[in-house]
Amino acid sequence: MTEHQEASHAARTSQPTVLLVDDDDDILSLLSVWLDKAGYEVITATSGREALGRIDVGQPQLVITDLFMEDIDGMALLTTVHQTTPLLPVIMLSGRAQIPDAVKATHLGSAAFLTKPVQREELLEQVERAVNRAADPKIDAAFSQKLIYRSRIMTDLVEQAKLVADSDITVFIQGDTGTGKEILAKAVHDASPRRDKPFIPINCGAFPEQLLESELFGHEKGAFTGASAKHEGLLLAANGGTLFLDEIGDMPLSLQVKLLRVLQDFQVRPVGSTRTYPVDVRVISATHRDLATAVKSGDFREDLYYRLNVVPLELPSLAERREDIPLFIEYFLQQRQDKGRKHFAPEALDYMVSALWPGNIRQLANVIDLCVTLSKTETIPLSLAQRALHDEPGRIQTLKEAKDAFERDYLISVMRITEGHVANAARIAGRNRTEFYKLLGQHSIDPAQFRDNGGD
Amino acid sequence: MNNKVTVTVDPDLEALIPGFLENRHKDVQAMTEALNTREFATIQSIGHSLKGVGGGYGFSRISDIGAGLESAAREQDSAAIQALIASLQDYLGNVEVVYQ
Repeated sequence: MTEHQEASHAARTSQPTVLLVDDDDDILSLLSVWLDKAGYEVITATSGREALGRIDVGQPQLVITDLFMEDIDGMALLTTVHQTTPLLPVIMLSGRAQIPDAVKATHLGSAAFLTKPVQREELLEQVERAVNRAADPKIDAAFSQKLIYRSRIMTDLVEQAKLVADSDITVFIQGDTGTGKEILAKAVHDASPRRDKPFIPINCGAFPEQLLESELFGHEKGAFTGASAKHEGLLLAANGGTLFLDEIGDMPLSLQVKLLRVLQDFQVRPVGSTRTYPVDVRVISATHRDLATAVKSGDFREDLYYRLNVVPLELPSLAERREDIPLFIEYFLQQRQDKGRKHFAPEALDYMVSALWPGNIRQLANVIDLCVTLSKTETIPLSLAQRALHDEPGRIQTLKEAKDAFERDYLISVMRITEGHVANAARIAGRNRTEFYKLLGQHSIDPAQFRDNGGD
Repeated sequence: MNNKVTVTVDPDLEALIPGFLENRHKDVQAMTEALNTREFATIQSIGHSLKGVGGGYGFSRISDIGAGLESAAREQDSAAIQALIASLQDYLGNVEVVYQ
């Protein structure tokens, strides 16, 4: 992605300093060359003790350290570093890929854990991430306070969002209903230098054309019937801040032209006005629709599409980030009860995690609401969770359930084809008649149903 | 078996390669001595370093031999260690580096 490259280029021009710590000179030389060629200032230390001195003097933006060293090892170095400079990221290198070490390092706050032999690209990628992350703690805070996640897919998305947050880049969020598009947009706003200015969300699908026009662009008094007073419009209200255009795909074509003009000229002309007003607004737009297809079919202007879609961020559905479901459950449970300590029974929790959630996070929140309200006991039972989810729709079946459902459908279609003739149906199915009867019996399928006029 | 082995190395690393290979000769020497005195921990440690550093410089064969030395040293298998040291020495004698 070009934005990504631009962002990394920006990081390079400011030449962050990296402190390399390893007792192996060959590793130090190798990594020094790689980092130097990538545009970083490099300082080195061959022991943990030496490293501590270098941090005080060289003030690096990142430390890369070997895990196993004689005097102070990587873990101890990480701990010591974070006591004095908690925001300084530390990348850990280890000759052994041992999970307990990696877990411990992560808990202690290492930015990444890499195994030797380290690949050049892998190292540079992690360095770039760590340095960007370190750039502004406010950016981190904005995302960690707004978003709940631990899944890989969301981690990657947030990394991308962080890269573009600290700028005026036009962001486009694609995601299904209830995936949290507005929350992501707000996080981007809070992470940007516009954070102290307004963040104004508007759902373009919720207004008829004329009303949406005056909501967005404003109108003069008497501009149309019912315009009894002057109205500023949301674009001007969001001046200096961020305007979040949700469901942009529902915006009528006539308004798309007007919006495009604003994005090109940074001027707004309210309905019925003869003059234009300068406006400085960052636009974040979102839709659950496939805008590329809408462009092809002529429902969405191509020029506006490219203007809005500078950096696309794709929000995954809840089903694509199941690891996050327990986090959401805990969060919503806490939010919805001041003192009560209602919680899900283990099998209810399993059920919630395996459900399909077509309505995504919003649906999950509603279901939890319902469960908290309806449960008479502290432990919310499976049956209630099932009822709250209106049961079946979308829950992932067990293999047995899936097999049963398939078998039943199969039997019914064979019975239909043979019009209830069991011997023929059994032959098609490749089973002998007695066995086939057993199957029909297991599924309570009555062959007579499939015969014309009831037959015998 | 004097077969020349050509290895392609990143030109960015050109200045480092003579020193790197020189250090590997030292490793051969140190491991040979360690084998004579049965200091397997030393061999294990050198093997471990070789494994970690070889591939990065473009010599994946050195990483492979390093990994072999590390595990052979752990098992205190002198015969295998001797063979691996010999193959490292042989490799160092025959390797030709091309920078591109």
